[in-house]
Amino acid sequence: MIHQKFLFSAKETLNNLWEFRGRNLFSIFIICLSFLIVGVFLSLSNNFQHIAKQIQENLAIVAFIENDASEENINAIRIRLENSPYIEEVHYITSQKAKENFSHKFPELRSIVENLEFNPFPASIEAVAKDNALSLEETIDFVNEIKNITGVDDVQFNKDWLERIQAFSRLAKIVGFFLGGILVLASFFIISNIIKLNVLARKEEIEILRLTGATNLFIRTPFLIEGMVLGLLGSSLSLLLLAIIIHIFPLYLGSSLGALSELIRFRFLSVGQCFGVLISGCVTGFIGSYSSLARFLNI
Amino acid sequence: MIEVYNLWKQYQRPNWALSGISMNIEKGDFCFITGPSGSGKTTLLKILYREIFPTQGQILIDKRNILRIPDHKIYILRRLMGIVFQDFRLLFHKKVFDNVALVLRILGVPQKEIRRRVFYSLRMVNLHNKMWEYPKHLSYGEQQRVAIARAVVNNPKIILADEPTGNLDTELAFEIMTLFRRINKKGTTVIICTHDRELIRHYGKKIYFLYKGKILRKESL
Repeated sequence: MIHQKFLFSAKETLNNLWEFRGRNLFSIFIICLSFLIVGVFLSLSNNFQHIAKQIQENLAIVAFIENDASEENINAIRIRLENSPYIEEVHYITSQKAKENFSHKFPELRSIVENLEFNPFPASIEAVAKDNALSLEETIDFVNEIKNITGVDDVQFNKDWLERIQAFSRLAKIVGFFLGGILVLASFFIISNIIKLNVLARKEEIEILRLTGATNLFIRTPFLIEGMVLGLLGSSLSLLLLAIIIHIFPLYLGSSLGALSELIRFRFLSVGQCFGVLISGCVTGFIGSYSSLARFLNI
Repeated sequence: MIEVYNLWKQYQRPNWALSGISMNIEKGDFCFITGPSGSGKTTLLKILYREIFPTQGQILIDKRNILRIPDHKIYILRRLMGIVFQDFRLLFHKKVFDNVALVLRILGVPQKEIRRRVFYSLRMVNLHNKMWEYPKHLSYGEQQRVAIARAVVNNPKIILADEPTGNLDTELAFEIMTLFRRINKKGTTVIICTHDRELIRHYGKKIYFLYKGKILRKESL
């Protein structure tokens, strides 16, 4: 019995979708646009997250040694780092070696360094952290601990970048959800109004259904399914367009963004995020449709 | 079957559309409600199928006070009834079969059973050979017969017909009335609102004469 009723509702939904295809396509387009905006910012945020993860995985801690530090002090720092469960490997770099490294990496600045009467580069101990061994907070604690060892002048690690990238990621997410949220809200009203128009067009039929003993649920179901289908189609289309954009964007821009291309790169949504977008589409359609029926269909 | 007690209805002050109507319609009655335009026939019928509420009064159908049925349960009352309108109220974008099958689909009747019952109903109104046509291709008389087939397909206990012959010529009107009589003979209570005196003279068994919202007189033949 329920099976028969559902079949009838599904058939009615298909009829509605086809009969009012113009306005339905318009609402699919708006939903698609809304979720595409959310998707673009989510994929940007995904990329920032990815970069942040890479930085975290290759976390390097550099302890600069005071100029007057004794051999015992240097060994003590080295041993402390080597014995740490978070550290993968430790390298001691003398001030002379640091100067050579600098000259090698920046040959155009070599003359400046060589003309100096003293070596400006302090000796240092570079420690590479184990993959995912430390969270950001734990890393900061660990760095503070190293700073307090006698003979250590300063400790640096690529924390700033990590923080900045994570901030970018958060910002991208917030902007995406804000802009997308406004558009999703707009699409909610558009669905609501389109369903209202469809209800109006079917007013006579609804009247006949009411008089022939149809329950409210029976009358509402095709419109609710219609709203959900519109939402689902719109959000699916947005994922498809997002995939196309992600594919085309690097080809179109080529290397014109230079170093920025690494940052402004789209990374496709995870399976969970894709499901999230699809379910949000469905829910938007359902709520839009339901609110319209509740306000307009006086049954 | 239908008991109406002291029914009053006011749309706008100071006029009363119905003033103190009381009536008792037994199971299997073939009843006419007649009167000039504006006498309250349609209002009375609309109250009986709970399209509108009376200002005052009580109505019992099948011993149930229909005014106490909550809106979301009104389908229970409507499933007891088959309603026929003057303007047929058919779905012109659906075929004759689908128009009649609508009531059964609402009930979730299996497809095989729907086919059987729709065919039976359409055969009763002699339209089984036009089952797959669209109503717009049928004459007025045929369209009204489709509406009657839709009203009876679910074997309702009561048929309410509001000016069912209003748009039809005399010959077709008699044909439709004969059809109602046949349905009534199977035990269905039939209530027809009409102002056609000729039909009442021919088919009238129990007649309520309405004038300005009041029952002027009642005749049982």
